[in-house]
This record gives sequence, structure tokens and C-alpha cells, in this order.
Amino acid sequence: MTTDPTTTDVQDDPTRITVDQFYPHPPERVWRALTTPELIAQWLMPNDFRPELGHRFTMRGRPVEATKFSGVVASTVLAIDPPRLLRISWADAEGGNAMETTVTWTLHAEGTGTRLLLEQVGFGADNPVDQLSRRFMSGGWRSQILTRLGELLDAGA
Amino acid sequence: MPRRTKDSPLDRLVGALANPTRRDILDALLEREQTVSELAARFDMARPSVSEHLAALRDGGLVDERTSGRHRYYTVTAGPLRELADWLTPYERFWRGRLRDLGTVLDEMPDEMPHEMPDHRHDHPHDHEGRR
Repeated sequence: MTTDPTTTDVQDDPTRITVDQFYPHPPERVWRALTTPELIAQWLMPNDFRPELGHRFTMRGRPVEATKFSGVVASTVLAIDPPRLLRISWADAEGGNAMETTVTWTLHAEGTGTRLLLEQVGFGADNPVDQLSRRFMSGGWRSQILTRLGELLDAGA
Repeated sequence: MPRRTKDSPLDRLVGALANPTRRDILDALLEREQTVSELAARFDMARPSVSEHLAALRDGGLVDERTSGRHRYYTVTAGPLRELADWLTPYERFWRGRLRDLGTVLDEMPDEMPHEMPDHRHDHPHDHEGRR
């Protein structure tokens, strides 16, 4: 480990999203929030998740106009290694945007807390939104400006 | 009348961003508000060129100006940029929001939950606390 990857929210690879977040709670507690249906419902979406490899479940959220997301996510538990790693498939249950991605949460103990890395991969490179963003987001601009923009927005501007 | 293709606010916004110099200017303005002279010095450009780029950015709804004394300051407008960020990176925004909510759940959730330990799961969720 050479540098501390503090905020790597936005990358230049349009087929991949990585967000990391530090929580002042031990990995076991974070794991519980990631894998208990009632708790998942509180921060993500109502769901019928079970912490079992191969379990198929759905999550019901709000439709998102910008991405043609129907609001219902169809998932399968692809990998589960408590309290270190959880990987699920993430697809639009109604095929509204034909998205088929994988979401992986990785938990790293850091002091008395946990650094949670979230990675979503498999966004279509031919998705029109991605195409447009690539056209304008070359040369590191996407990562620089959008990271700063994220900070600005988070600061309540 | 010919059909205009660049007339929606989004088209003007995207048009304003379709130029690397304008993106650099926007980037600089995200740090702090600046005057045309400051920007011209920073990017080693003539002031009229900077003004032209700023006009395009203003037309795209990305920057605003305010006058203070003899100076006119240019500043980034948050609203359209917020929409732009949502539009360009809907999932980053989505996950950042969800991970913030996860933080709240972590702060507020009880230390122990009965279904955390399937071995101890009963019809009465508090049974495992005082195993008699």
C-alpha cells in the first residue's frame, strides 16, 4: 500500500463504478447491515435477500427516468464471505434498460472502523448515456471535475 | 422555419461542455469564483476569448456572474450541474446517497440482532438474551 485511496468515487472507465466509504463501526456490524433484509431495506430497498449463495431475490425501489430503470432489481447472491465480501448480480427485473451488472461490497477493517468498497461493473459501453459521457469526459476530466462537483454538492451548494 | 436541433437547455449545456477550454474554465471556477482577467492570466488567453467561452458556459446555464465594484465575478451554478451530475453519473450519485444512509443505519441499529445468529432463532426474538 503506497497511497491512501480516500475518494475514488468517479473513474474514467464508464463500465465500472467504485465508491468507497469509511464507517466508524467494525466489519461485523457493517456486514450485518449489508446482509439483514430489514436493515438493507432501511438504506437500500425493500427486498427478500437471504445470505445464501445462489439465492435469488428482488429489491423494489423507485423508477429512475434518466437510466430507464424500472424500479425493480433482480439479483442473485454470487459470492458471500462473511464479513469480508458480498457479490450480487444486479439487473433490471423488467428489462427496461437491459442492464446486467454485478455489485461487490468488500469490507476492510481500518483501525476500529471499516472501509467499505463498493464496485459495480458491467455497464454497457454502448449505452447512450455512457457514450455521451465518454465523448465529453476524456482526459481525466470526468474524475477531476465530478469528484470536485460531488464535494461541492455534498457541502450543500 | 428550419428545424433547430440545438435549442433545448440540455443541448446548450452539452454544447457548452463540448470544448476542452470551457471545461478547464469550469474546473477553475469550481475552486472559487473568478474574474475574466484572472481566468485569462491563468490560461494564458486573451480576455475576449475567455469572455466568449464564459458566454457559452452562461448560455448553457453552467455559470453565473455577479458584479462587485469594478469587478465582475464568474461563479458555477449548482442547479444545472447537479442535474448534469445526476444525468452523467446516476449510479455514483445513487450509491453515494445509499452509502450515506447506510452510515445512519449503522449508527442507529441495535448492537445485537436476533436473526444475526440463526442458531438462536426462536419465535420469541429476545429469548437468546436470557437463556435460562
